[in-house]
Amino acid sequence: MSNLATRPALMERLRVAVHATDSPRRAALGKVVAEAGHFVVGMDDTADVVLVDGDSPPRETRPVVSLGGADDDLPGVLSADADASQIDAAIRAVAAGLVVRLPGAREGGFGAMRETLGHALLTPRELEVLAALAEGMTNKAIARRLDISLHTVKFHVESLFRKLGARTRTEAVAKASERRRHETITL
Amino acid sequence: MTDQPDFLAQFSNALATRAEAGKSAVVAIRLAHERHITGMPWHSGVVVASEQSLPHRDEFELVAPGGAVVTAKIAGRDPSTNIAILRPAEPIAAPSIVAGEARTGAIALAIGADGTGGASARLGLVNLAGPEWHSSRGGLVDRRIVLDVRLAGREEGGPVFDATGGYLGMSTFGPRGQVIVIPTATIERVVPQLLKTGHIARGWLGVALQPVAVPDALGETADQSSGLMVMSVVEGGPAAQAGILAGDIILSVDGTSAHRLRKIARHFGADSIGRKADLRLIRSGAVIAVQATIAERHAA
Repeated sequence: MSNLATRPALMERLRVAVHATDSPRRAALGKVVAEAGHFVVGMDDTADVVLVDGDSPPRETRPVVSLGGADDDLPGVLSADADASQIDAAIRAVAAGLVVRLPGAREGGFGAMRETLGHALLTPRELEVLAALAEGMTNKAIARRLDISLHTVKFHVESLFRKLGARTRTEAVAKASERRRHETITL
Repeated sequence: MTDQPDFLAQFSNALATRAEAGKSAVVAIRLAHERHITGMPWHSGVVVASEQSLPHRDEFELVAPGGAVVTAKIAGRDPSTNIAILRPAEPIAAPSIVAGEARTGAIALAIGADGTGGASARLGLVNLAGPEWHSSRGGLVDRRIVLDVRLAGREEGGPVFDATGGYLGMSTFGPRGQVIVIPTATIERVVPQLLKTGHIARGWLGVALQPVAVPDALGETADQSSGLMVMSVVEGGPAAQAGILAGDIILSVDGTSAHRLRKIARHFGADSIGRKADLRLIRSGAVIAVQATIAERHAA
């Protein structure tokens, strides 16, 4: 935050509407936007930018930053697991009339099934801790709910951060939700 | 001086003639924001499109060859092979469709719809022609065909021709913007099934699964380090009837370890319907065996 103060151009607060069909994901993205210093507004309010999880709603005419959407013609297209600093940068760039793309190309695409499960899978206990994080619970509250020590909770949270490549609890929840969307297999 | 144009001019003319003829092989499928993707008029009066890029709506406007606008209803979609079919309110004549043979290094001509009834063209090589493969959605694609071609989003779903004018298949985007082809053989196999039922028959247990690490304490009993945790069970589905519960961790299906995803997916093809599946799973710290009868999946 302190280094932002020295860059006045980046201090502008924008009105950002957040669209996600999954409500924990919407809450997590709203938090990312708010923590970046913007105002989170409703989808029907006046907004400078619309942050969309996945594909843009039909007939959306405001500038959209899409996370993992298939639409290549939107002003902002990030990967579904974009981190907080990328989301903030994309929102500001798109509001300024620029186009944001990932280096390389579009994400997703019709791909082959992975041969095996990936590494750094979460354990069932870590998933329980994550669910509590998504509800905004403190470590102490999580310890009480799962009937484990505070030390053990911290251990699980650190392990979650490491496995998900997250630096904050919000980011961990957002990344895990994204992972779940990609990894869920229905049989 | 000769009356014959040189080889390069002949080559160019031949390509331009093919691109011109390609007009009758594409329709534009209108999306929001004045955008479109491409579809291919196919046999049986349907239009084939790339499922992944077709929004989930029931009805679309098509721009037919020549520019006539026709409405079309979705007649079926199969995410597992990335094939969707639409049925236009007025028939759009399909050109004669002959399957081409994909060969690595051969020329490929990809045609897209320009949105006003005409065509756009892309020329490249078949970068790779490989064997059959399984998509991440569990479908079997007859050949792996990768093109050395750039494609605009609006051109996705158009036909890809070989040098003799044979259909290699439908262009689509693979991972990282790679342009791949859904082979004609796959389309010929899937379209009749979609016409019949609107979807592709697959085996079904009625569970949503998430890969998880097996807790260290259970590693030895389970004899593997990862499994698929049951996140939800569809009420009344085969898994529910077999007593499978949310929180169970599936270790294997008919002896195939759950971390062999492709092998597991192959277990649930159309031929699996009605078969009994033996599941090994962890519940409350113990490894147990459960048998479930595979049913047919209905919704997409």
